[in-house]
Amino acid sequence: MPDERIPDELDDYLRGGSALSGQYKRESSPPPPHALDRMVLEAARPAPFGSKRPFKHQSLAPLAFAASVLLSLALVLAIIFGPQAKKPDDKPRVMQVRMFKSEPPRASPVSARERNPAAWLADISALRRAGHRAEADVEMRRFRSAYPDYIIPINE
Amino acid sequence: MLQLKMDNQDHDAGLMLRYRDGDTAAFAALYAHYKGPLYRYLLRHVRNAGAAADLFQEVWSHLIATRARYEPRAKFATFLFHIAHNCAIDFFRRDLNLRRAIPSHDPDAQLLEPEVPEHQRPDRVAEFAEQQSALLAAVAALPQEQREAFLLREETGLTVEEIARITDVPVETAKSRLRYAVRKLKDSLRPIQEPEALPLRTYA
Repeated sequence: MPDERIPDELDDYLRGGSALSGQYKRESSPPPPHALDRMVLEAARPAPFGSKRPFKHQSLAPLAFAASVLLSLALVLAIIFGPQAKKPDDKPRVMQVRMFKSEPPRASPVSARERNPAAWLADISALRRAGHRAEADVEMRRFRSAYPDYIIPINE
Repeated sequence: MLQLKMDNQDHDAGLMLRYRDGDTAAFAALYAHYKGPLYRYLLRHVRNAGAAADLFQEVWSHLIATRARYEPRAKFATFLFHIAHNCAIDFFRRDLNLRRAIPSHDPDAQLLEPEVPEHQRPDRVAEFAEQQSALLAAVAALPQEQREAFLLREETGLTVEEIARITDVPVETAKSRLRYAVRKLKDSLRPIQEPEALPLRTYA
């Protein structure tokens, strides 16, 4: 095969319309998969203003904020006025502690059966230290009647 | 196939400039125009559908990522297929096993070409279908550089000088590659085109 024919073949081919090009163009052409189309076109969208999803999220933001405020408010109200806050024996217990810690009792509003003997004795001691001897004696008598078998420590 | 004239090329460069400035509709137009030629180029160049799909995505991703730096110094097709050429070169470098598994003269290379959909290959035109398969097999059997030169010419209609620019070689080298590719393809198809060389076959 002479080398001279090669340039001729190429020139013919480059001029276009050659049998080889015609045959190649008749070849079936598989398109790129649709999934590729979607991925490429999606990637080509600029994030700040190409996608509507961020806008949708922004439109939901006030609603989400209002919902969280309502939930927080409901939680606070439940803590304040909830069923635990209304337990009948919680309030007297608090009052009882306050009463004995703030000032020595002149007359106990609580029945003797409800008093803890050790705490009662401590209150009586407090009355004595405060100089209310008569009241301490009254309380001691009441204690004795309530707890006749209770062994009182020596320092009381 | 894509046979682009200069006006179209200028138009494509304008579309790319518009996309650079934020017009995604311009990108969609470019993509619709070039997706077929680019995919066929990659598919028939690397001869593997999965790799071609990956490279196809890689090329567009690169174009998207670097759009801010785009300047129309050449035809848009030259710009796009230069990216594709570089991606393909990287692929061949990364996966040397692919080149070993598919030597240039492997007669089974045509098996890697995805099957043509049935509606595009009617059974009644058996001889024509046979020629199609033979041509694609011959293209697949070309050496890598010659195959690329032929595919670039057929899929883009670019000149030899532009093909040389895309493949980063002197013009004479690109011309030589294309010349040998054309010669081999013609030689490989000649036995089919000549009636006496056809295999014996009876048709109902």
